[in-house]
Amino acid sequence: MAKQLWKQFGRFAIVALASALFVSVTPAQDWQDYKRPAPTAADWAALAQLPDFTGVWESPLGGEGESLVVKPGEKVKAPTITRSSKFPVFHGPPPLPLTPAWAAKVADLKAHAGEDTSAANCLPPGMPEIMGQPYPYEFLMTPGQVTIVGEAYMIVRHIYTDGRPLPKDPDPTFFGSSVGHWEGKTLVVDSVGFSPATTIDMITPHSDKMRIVERFKLLDPDTMQITTTVIDPIALTHPYTTTRILKRHRDWTIDEYICEQNNRNSTTSTGKAEVNTTPPPLNGPASDVK
Amino acid sequence: MRQMKTNLKQSVLFAVLLGAVLVTAGTATAHHGFADYDMTRQLTVKGKVRTFQWTNPHTWLWIDVSTDKGTVIYAFEGMSPNYLGRRGWSRHSLQPGDPITVTYFPFKDAAKKGGTLAKAVKPNGEVLNNFVPAGAK
Repeated sequence: MAKQLWKQFGRFAIVALASALFVSVTPAQDWQDYKRPAPTAADWAALAQLPDFTGVWESPLGGEGESLVVKPGEKVKAPTITRSSKFPVFHGPPPLPLTPAWAAKVADLKAHAGEDTSAANCLPPGMPEIMGQPYPYEFLMTPGQVTIVGEAYMIVRHIYTDGRPLPKDPDPTFFGSSVGHWEGKTLVVDSVGFSPATTIDMITPHSDKMRIVERFKLLDPDTMQITTTVIDPIALTHPYTTTRILKRHRDWTIDEYICEQNNRNSTTSTGKAEVNTTPPPLNGPASDVK
Repeated sequence: MRQMKTNLKQSVLFAVLLGAVLVTAGTATAHHGFADYDMTRQLTVKGKVRTFQWTNPHTWLWIDVSTDKGTVIYAFEGMSPNYLGRRGWSRHSLQPGDPITVTYFPFKDAAKKGGTLAKAVKPNGEVLNNFVPAGAK
């Protein structure tokens, strides 16, 4: 009897020890116990030696960022008139180099695509799409960190430049976990850990192996080039690189953008786009409610 | 003449912009695509401002249009206050009762009157465009 109890206790002890080891080891691989030292005056002064990314930036042409996505070195082609549209149509970005299995998956998704995406319900797009919005971005630089505030959907990306490694087992998120370092005057940002709810382009899903490398640099004092490389060995046959341009607007500030304030658009669970055109009561609140 | 030139320039820029919007609808427009709207057609209607909502994610304008069968309410979706505010608009741009001429891309659903705003023109000739490149007005 006593022998059996000891045996049971032994098993319990092994499990408990293993759990304790597991608990103590796992967080150490991530950021929970990464303690950043308090910035010194020298850390603040060192910021002045870096290229100045601070301020408010937007893609040219009123922010039609996606239309200006081209391969590095490739020029934006002139828009053309098509029969289906009275208006000039920009050539889109180069096609994604999908693996055969992924191409079949995307074809199936396209065949059953809804009329609109969940963004119509105010869910923000994830990386890399969130960087192609027709709204401005504000860059903030502080010791050990570059922060990007996206006006559309009021999103924030935290890029840690304090030397910490990428997390080994990050929770999947819309914008991923990002670390950055400077290569000369270029900020190189490496991001992993993306939510399966997000897509590479408007419809193409990514695998859990997706990694995104962005290179930010100034082409002239108020022009920034962002070269984005999507690496996904399961979805893509080779890394997919695009370039976009942002222009700085020194006279702009970032405005509030609460998508849920008066969102009259929506997509149903079956992907049907809907719009609510009911006028508000004349004697009701003027502008803040549906 | 200068005004005409400006208008022509704006029209071309608008057409180019819209082309970009059409190709990349959903992403470039942020927020949503144009499934509910017929973006190949433009219509124009005259009326009086009923309500103008200066709200995110879109501004909304309703106008009262007099017809043989009485007043009909038209609804127009515009770009966000953030976007329009940087392009010459403000929350005071359209006041209730203002006479207004609206050019728009109609709803595909014929039961719905109105659509996506292209431009609103005041009796004094002032033009408020819904899609304008940054810095232009």
